[in-house]
Amino acid sequence: MTKVIESKKHTKSEIKKILHPLVSEWFFSKFEDFSLTQQYGVFNIHNRKNILISAPTGGTKTLTAFLSILNYLVILAEKKELENKIYAVYTSPLKALSNDIHKNLIEPLEEINELAKKKGIVLQKIRVGLRTGDTTLSERAKMARLIPHIFITTPESLAIILTSKKFVENLKSVEFCVVDEIHAMDNKRGTYLSLSLERLNEVSSTFPAKIGLSATVEPMEEVARYLVGETEDREVCFARVPLDKKIDVQVLKPVNDLIDDKNISASMYNLLANLIQKHKTTLIFTNTRSATERVVNYLKEKFPTEYGDDNIAAHHSSLSREHRFDIEERLREGKLKVVVCSTSLELGIDIGYIDLVLMMGSPKSSSRALQRIGRAGHKLHDTAKGRFIVLDRDDLVECSVIQKEMIERKINRIGFPRNALDVLSQQIYGMAIYKIWDIDELFSVIKKSYCFSELSRKDFLDVISYLSGEYELEKNYVYGKIWYDSETKQIGKKGKMARVLYLTNIGTIPDESFITVKLSSGEPIGAIAEGFMEKMKRKDVFVLGGRKYVYRYTRGMNVYVNSAEGLSPTIPSWFSEMLPLSFDSGLEINKFRKEMKDKFTSHKKEKTIKSFIMNYLYLDEDVAESIYDYFCEQHNFLEIPDEDTMILEKCTMEGKNYLIFHSMYGRRVNDALSRAFGFLMGRAGMRDVEVGINDNGFYLAGESVLEENFHKALKYLVNEKGLKEVLESAIEKTDVLARRFRHCATRSLMILRSYKGRSKTVGKQQMKSHFLLHAVKKLSNQFPILREARREVLEDLMDLENAKKVLKWIAIGKVKLKIKRTKIPSPFSASLIIQGYSDLIKIEDRQNFLKRMHHEHLRIIGERKK
Amino acid sequence: MKYELINQSSFFLEQGILAIGDLHIGYEHGMKGKGVSLPETQPDEIINDLRKIIFDIGKKGHKLKKIVFLGDIKHFFNYEWREKVYFKKVFEFLSRHVEEKNIILIKGNHDKFDLSGKKMKNYYVSKSLAFTHGHIAYPRIFEEDVKMIVMGHLHPSIMLMDKQGIKREKYKCFLAGKFRGKEVLILPSFMEMVEGTAVNSEYFQSEKGFSIIPEKEIQKFSVKVVNDNGEIMDFGEVRKL
Repeated sequence: MTKVIESKKHTKSEIKKILHPLVSEWFFSKFEDFSLTQQYGVFNIHNRKNILISAPTGGTKTLTAFLSILNYLVILAEKKELENKIYAVYTSPLKALSNDIHKNLIEPLEEINELAKKKGIVLQKIRVGLRTGDTTLSERAKMARLIPHIFITTPESLAIILTSKKFVENLKSVEFCVVDEIHAMDNKRGTYLSLSLERLNEVSSTFPAKIGLSATVEPMEEVARYLVGETEDREVCFARVPLDKKIDVQVLKPVNDLIDDKNISASMYNLLANLIQKHKTTLIFTNTRSATERVVNYLKEKFPTEYGDDNIAAHHSSLSREHRFDIEERLREGKLKVVVCSTSLELGIDIGYIDLVLMMGSPKSSSRALQRIGRAGHKLHDTAKGRFIVLDRDDLVECSVIQKEMIERKINRIGFPRNALDVLSQQIYGMAIYKIWDIDELFSVIKKSYCFSELSRKDFLDVISYLSGEYELEKNYVYGKIWYDSETKQIGKKGKMARVLYLTNIGTIPDESFITVKLSSGEPIGAIAEGFMEKMKRKDVFVLGGRKYVYRYTRGMNVYVNSAEGLSPTIPSWFSEMLPLSFDSGLEINKFRKEMKDKFTSHKKEKTIKSFIMNYLYLDEDVAESIYDYFCEQHNFLEIPDEDTMILEKCTMEGKNYLIFHSMYGRRVNDALSRAFGFLMGRAGMRDVEVGINDNGFYLAGESVLEENFHKALKYLVNEKGLKEVLESAIEKTDVLARRFRHCATRSLMILRSYKGRSKTVGKQQMKSHFLLHAVKKLSNQFPILREARREVLEDLMDLENAKKVLKWIAIGKVKLKIKRTKIPSPFSASLIIQGYSDLIKIEDRQNFLKRMHHEHLRIIGERKK
Repeated sequence: MKYELINQSSFFLEQGILAIGDLHIGYEHGMKGKGVSLPETQPDEIINDLRKIIFDIGKKGHKLKKIVFLGDIKHFFNYEWREKVYFKKVFEFLSRHVEEKNIILIKGNHDKFDLSGKKMKNYYVSKSLAFTHGHIAYPRIFEEDVKMIVMGHLHPSIMLMDKQGIKREKYKCFLAGKFRGKEVLILPSFMEMVEGTAVNSEYFQSEKGFSIIPEKEIQKFSVKVVNDNGEIMDFGEVRKL
């Protein structure tokens, strides 16, 4: 295993000693002294140590990396030893890189050159080249002639250039490799990058020193391993730069009474407008794209004299690139008063002076919250000012606990997807395009990646089989992407189109095409995925953004609906845009619940409890009072669930049996638990089970939802080690597996987004997810990409590991389950019931269902005849 | 008119004719040309289904004389060599049971080329039965001697939902009714993967003039589903679903 050590801080004189006099003079003309980040980083990077540096925004991370690299290049440039090759590769997941690079690299370089000129020192020209998906052909051609010394790129473009024999020649002596924004790579894009880095290591004559830059992140040791890969002979150090950016946070509620006040939305906009007016520039996070548009429209309509197109803008990822650039530019120039975004401005591009960050709705984790408010007061010594605006009582508790975590610097942990076979397929294809490989050599390169260090040889060979067109798939069509010769044990690409295919279909971010949902008045209220539409029937009631609507008709890319308050949803709610609450924050809420429960059960005075809330959660009296009321209601009505006790509410509504689990572990764990229980109970009762899930718990409903079935299911889950197997069966017929399979099929290039020069929208691929899944199952139920889709659902979408942990707690009695009968859902479960159901676990056989429904119809027809 | 519903096809006793709905051969293969790779199991599955149907007809003591394909035999509009090969396989299998001249191919809106060198017809009339695809109202099928029109094209299916609205499933179905004084039987698609459009959803025939039977008339047709045991289940009129 790779050795991980904590990095030491170096003294200023130590660092100064290694700097070229020009660089040193330039540095001290700009800055008074080295920053803490530089004290941890510069010396280590100079000595080619692998290092992961985490520091808050404004902690001069990027400059730290570039300072060492520039210093080295200036030394070479003065000695006229600079060659026509790449010395450093910098990768960042951001699309809009150029501004950051300009500030942290181009400007310093120009200023150092100026200084050299003044002093009569002749330096060779140090070149910087940028290559992203947007780089034009002529720019690329120029880069091929005059090789940049510092090569700036994205994970995708890095993978592309690694397939080109010619370009790889220039990469063979790379000495530094900077990986920026590592905290944002905890997804398949990160898995992908980890393999690209191994490919880079493989072509380099010496191991390029890795420099990982990150916002505050945990667990540092694991992220450091991710950065350098897993082998016996590698070593990495990490530095948690002990910088404390001052934060000023507060939880605000627009109205006193979050339950009965009818003007909550109007009051919220007044509160927003008020806060915006008191500050120079405000950035608002709304979590979803549709909310972004809604807030902008509302502010413009309600305050037409204050807000217009000149000073307010919406920013989200589905806007065109030009549009986004324009907004970012105006923001930097200080021309905008307020920018509203979903999550898109979370990452580190410099967006100029912002003095207030508003978070509408919970950011769902402390690190995300810190990242967001870090956008205010971008410089280190500025205080970052942020406000949570809460709209309901669950949100209130959640934001308050996250605020506590922020203030107490409790950072939630991240993880990287491992053994993702779709990403592996894409990468192996790229590797085969680069050269002919010996199979063992290929396997050993892949195994060095942190994300594939535990890859089994079987999985690897299955992917090779798939790519080489086995599985009875026609060998010479799109399918055969590589050839594998079992005699010589060699692997190579197939077909002349390979590079073009790879180039135009690379990437890990899935396409979904969205349909706008509109009221008959034409007012847009949100968006749903096209796949979701496949199932809708006239008069279906569904939940979107917490409100109910009845489906009327579709015209083009618009769905028309009417408001349907008071009706029960007939189809699952659409949730894809929702961020899940982090498991760690869920545990913190559980802990707070326990504190509260203890106080209520030991009959503490109202005043005592309220002041406890104020102290514990850093809240003002007003907000603490709402929390007090909420818990008081729950205590009086039923019982407060907490970290020791999971309450299960049993109730019957409209003839349907419900079992509500107060499982405060976040949506990802609840997704797993609910399906495991739902599947086992459904099987015991032989009827389908409806599942509703949110961050605070889940419910099961239907004819199978009986106490005896629950006990059977519990016994099974607690005694056996089969959670994974149960879940695999439970998701087999769900929409979510079909949808994820489609994404995986695209990533593994089974579905090409762009083929023979035509690029297609999801709709035009004409392939319904279920159809595709059905076809592949016929092929083999163990088809590697299908296995990957199951893994993705269980490990990335759901949180299998932590769900196992919760079951373990139940098994050893650390968490006790208590079933209680209620007439109506308790206050803590109200929002769960209101939001409707998320999915259906199919148990009953299609043919049996057909018979049952036919009997039903005959009965109705019979009655009609009478 | 006496007929039996067997699997997703219908057999006309008096004439000894087996009618087969839209095949859409080449669907999987065509996806490849669009950059989607699917296993191509379609021809074998079609042959398997046909074998069962023919066996069933014989078992019931009927004589199979002719087979009529109701159009949209191929899926893609342009010419594909592979589709020809696939259809030939199906055709060869069938010619072991009926003479080649008694296999009648009707042209659907997807069929722009003749398959396997056999001339395709717009309609076929035999003893008061008229077979056609259903996208064009040829005057011949409405002439007096015709009592019944048999067509495909619409891929009808039915969406069933339980009372609490928890479970919903789609099943292929036949539609039987009357139009312009003729009996009409609409067959579901024969291809396993194409479930079709639910008659009780708004998408059904949302395009005007898509078929010769207007949406308003379809509402009066009755719905029949054949289950896996071959039993026929009547679900009453479309408009009452």
